[in-house]
Amino acid sequence: MPIIVNLDVMMAKRKMSLNELSEKVDITLSNLSILKTGKAKAIRFSTLEAICKALDCQPADLLEYRV
Amino acid sequence: MEIKITTQQMLKILQVVSWIIFIGLCIDAGGIVFNVVCTFAISPLYTSNFWKEADLSALYRYDPGYFVVIALLMVIVAVLKALLFYLIIKLFINKRLNLSRPFSFEIKQLLLNISWLILGIGLFSHSGREYAEWLSKRGVKMPDPQSMRLDGADVWLFMAVILFVVAQVIKRGIEIQRENDLTI
Repeated sequence: MPIIVNLDVMMAKRKMSLNELSEKVDITLSNLSILKTGKAKAIRFSTLEAICKALDCQPADLLEYRV
Repeated sequence: MEIKITTQQMLKILQVVSWIIFIGLCIDAGGIVFNVVCTFAISPLYTSNFWKEADLSALYRYDPGYFVVIALLMVIVAVLKALLFYLIIKLFINKRLNLSRPFSFEIKQLLLNISWLILGIGLFSHSGREYAEWLSKRGVKMPDPQSMRLDGADVWLFMAVILFVVAQVIKRGIEIQRENDLTI
């Protein structure tokens, strides 16, 4: 899929672990892992909002379109 | 008093019924194969008292080659029917039917396999019946298609088409379920 999820990059920039993010956004570790590995088919606005809030970033920092 | 039958109970009943049908079909297929082998290995007299009283002696006397073709079609149809129920039994034995997640790729594949098998049964039954009619027109006394186990070709073909449609609907259901599962 040409949409790349840069969650791991943002987590590294904010020095935040998967466990910490999982607790902050109230998403299970397995679901975060699906998102991180790029296996996710879709993301809800509410989830995106929660992640952006926790990582203090914009949706564009997390998602990227690459051909 | 109200009797409630749960899905599990219904599946248990269907499993038992499937086993009974499968054993019956295996005996049927084995009987036909045994008769064909006996006809060629022991005596052509077996053709007059063929499996399920299908009298194929006139056909054998007319030409053993035609007899082989009809016998082969009967064997193929019988084996395909047994294989059909083997697939259903395998589903129960392997416990691949997960009721909490009934839409799975295995079920879709099973439905597709079953529909291909049914299509095969329909086509072979149809060709067997047409062949028997053609032989009848040539003056060979043929038994009725029911005793030769070659009847109901149209029903098999209809069933194959219906199952193909159901398999496609399930395929779409699986795609939607997968998308739903992978929506975070």
